[in-house]
Amino acid sequence: MRQTLAREVTNLLERGRDRQLRLAVTGLSRAGKTAFLTSLVNQLRHAGLEARLDLMACAREGRLLGARRVAQQDLAVPRFPYDEAMAALDETPPRWPDPTRGISELRLQIRYRPGRHGLFGMMNADSATLTLDLFDYPGEWLLDLPLLEHDFLSWSERQQAALTPARRELAADWLEAVAELTPDSTADEAELAAIAERYAATLRAAREAGFADLQPGRFLLPGDLAGAPVLQFFPLPGVGEADRQALEALPEDSVYHTLSRRFAHYQQHVVKPFYREHFRRFDRQIVLVDVLGALNAGPERFEDLSRALSTLMRSFQYGKRSLVSRLFAPRIDRLAIAATKADHVTPEQHANLVTLLEALLAEPIQDLRFADIPVKALSLASIRATQSREVERQGRRFPALRGTTQAGEEALLFPGEVPAQIPETDFWQRQGFAFEHFRPLPRDARGDALPHIRLDAALDWLIGDKLS
Amino acid sequence: MTSPRPRQRFSLDDATPNPADPRPAEHYPLDVTSHAHEEEDDATRAPGLDTALARPRKRRWGLLTLLGGSLALGAVEAGRTLYQATLGGDPLSGAWSALLLLALGLGGSALARELWRLRRLRRHAVLREQLDALPEASAAQAGRLAERLREQLQLDRDDPHWQAFCAAHQPHHDGAETRTLLAHHLLAPRDREARRLISRMSGDTAVMVAVSPMTLVDMLLVAWRNLAMLERITTLYGLELGYASRLRLFRQVLANLAFAGVTEIASEASMELFSMNLASKLSTRAGQGLGIGLLSARLGLRAMRLTRPLPFDDTDNPRLGDLRHELWQRVRRLEESATPPR
Repeated sequence: MRQTLAREVTNLLERGRDRQLRLAVTGLSRAGKTAFLTSLVNQLRHAGLEARLDLMACAREGRLLGARRVAQQDLAVPRFPYDEAMAALDETPPRWPDPTRGISELRLQIRYRPGRHGLFGMMNADSATLTLDLFDYPGEWLLDLPLLEHDFLSWSERQQAALTPARRELAADWLEAVAELTPDSTADEAELAAIAERYAATLRAAREAGFADLQPGRFLLPGDLAGAPVLQFFPLPGVGEADRQALEALPEDSVYHTLSRRFAHYQQHVVKPFYREHFRRFDRQIVLVDVLGALNAGPERFEDLSRALSTLMRSFQYGKRSLVSRLFAPRIDRLAIAATKADHVTPEQHANLVTLLEALLAEPIQDLRFADIPVKALSLASIRATQSREVERQGRRFPALRGTTQAGEEALLFPGEVPAQIPETDFWQRQGFAFEHFRPLPRDARGDALPHIRLDAALDWLIGDKLS
Repeated sequence: MTSPRPRQRFSLDDATPNPADPRPAEHYPLDVTSHAHEEEDDATRAPGLDTALARPRKRRWGLLTLLGGSLALGAVEAGRTLYQATLGGDPLSGAWSALLLLALGLGGSALARELWRLRRLRRHAVLREQLDALPEASAAQAGRLAERLREQLQLDRDDPHWQAFCAAHQPHHDGAETRTLLAHHLLAPRDREARRLISRMSGDTAVMVAVSPMTLVDMLLVAWRNLAMLERITTLYGLELGYASRLRLFRQVLANLAFAGVTEIASEASMELFSMNLASKLSTRAGQGLGIGLLSARLGLRAMRLTRPLPFDDTDNPRLGDLRHELWQRVRRLEESATPPR
């Protein structure tokens, strides 16, 4: 107990001096959170030596001394598996780190020399440290956060609205089963469990098909809750706000009330603690979006991703920082949105990638602008998997990429253009997109820093002002 | 006369592909020769609005014809006299005309040099404009501009600063990122040097004015020192000044100083007051020295801003406030050593 208190006091002091930052790495599943964190730790670890962080002012001026992993704050949370991720990248053939299945934390201590005052001031000889708290989690669980705004009835309504034709097709099995169920009948445990299992199968199928807006997240990745009754609920189709009074009046053991109770329990005991413990105290945020994956998947999934991200970003607290808010109610005062996997397209497409990303996140960006929070959009590749080349054809040079595809075949290709705005629906039927997936590049020397694209710019935007 | 085009019916699905559609993916065989990503040379940019709006270029054709004509005619005249003197055996007039020829030759080469240097100044201004638009440039254009900046700054390909820039620059860096890297690797060392120079030379001027006994000498000293400072700053940024180009630049700096002066004084009013406050603590001569030193430093900073190939952005703009303290220290030290403590 005393130790906890001491730790809390130290944290409070550090936060008061503004020497501690908590970075939210937000992204749905497969957006590249783990790769981003792995590369971030790797770059900062190699800073000042092999890492190329030229777009980071502090590193460019030679003031960044390096970083070290230190004991994290909460001993009950597993450590971020950095070494495992690096081992995966070092295998022959190299492979991407395993997807995250649970929560993990990491605390980095960054050491730097404070900068000069003005352009020409004297270099400060003393070094200073900044503590950076990072946190990794399965992207599926993130989508539970918007669930907190709903009760069972409004959630059911929203889930019906989310059933677009393509998703309705995937959910046919579940819809058939649930159609026979009436809200006022007496609940049968076994039946509810069976239908819930079908619902989970529906969500899994939708994820396979590239959809992102899938709730509840634990159905996709139950963690230690697998098989518990708390995960045995599902939205009721065909009910709406108009039926509220009639439904409320039903007996306690009716299907409606049983599902409603489980939903409330899920909210209170699964989502809320997750939110309270991990998502409230953030100072900076980076939102990672796999734009190319969404383009590959088609217009309906694209819309779906856009909706998921905008509901998601409402769960974070944005605002200006002051001493008081820094200590007691930290708010995100600076934000980066990044289109990941930028190495999967040729360099001249990066500008389009960023424009498309901004179109995808148009609504949250408007809100953030209104709240006067600085936002920067960029394209990045945490771990670069291709080399940018040029191919000569008919006397002209065309940009191309060279890398090894996920299937293990060496390829030299032009992956296709990225449109500057969301294409019309009939374009997808006519041509569509097929961006190739690449394996990480094999590394020549173990000691080298990972190659990246614009990770340094992202870092400069996110933590650069605290390293000056 | 052509007959009207007959009626034609298209099937619904053989519309030509929309040219605005993104290009589809394309696979190349692995053995095709591929090059490391290089900057492709695209067409030179059309002159933008800026150049159209810029001050029209004055060509002093009359002056040039007059000078060139008198040089040419003089040379012909002198040549003829020399020829006749050799034939007629008049060594004195021959020697005179030979001397005249030499003088004309020197004058001609000086004129040519001046013109060439003026041209360089203009080229520098054009490069500056292009570099100013660097954030909007594509990666290929940015690479080409970087190369031109290297030439302008007279850096070799194996110069450590250029090497550092090359190592840092990646094919995916866009214009704004290239600009940051250029500013850091190529220009920051020169900026530091220029700043040291301004600080030292304006300090010298201040001290000289503070100790010199005569006003006329002061004025000459200040003019000489300022011109020397200007010249050295421009050399640092890769400009070689001739007589005319120096005059032009000096005029630009002064005009800039006069225009910017008003706004700058308004924004730095508190600082000006502070300097005056300081000056009142000194003797009259030392106060004058401080004032002149500040003016000289301001002139230097203006020249730096005008000649730096990459214009400063707001954050790294050098300010007079940074220099004031050092000037004050120097004059103060002088004053202290002049009046022994009682």
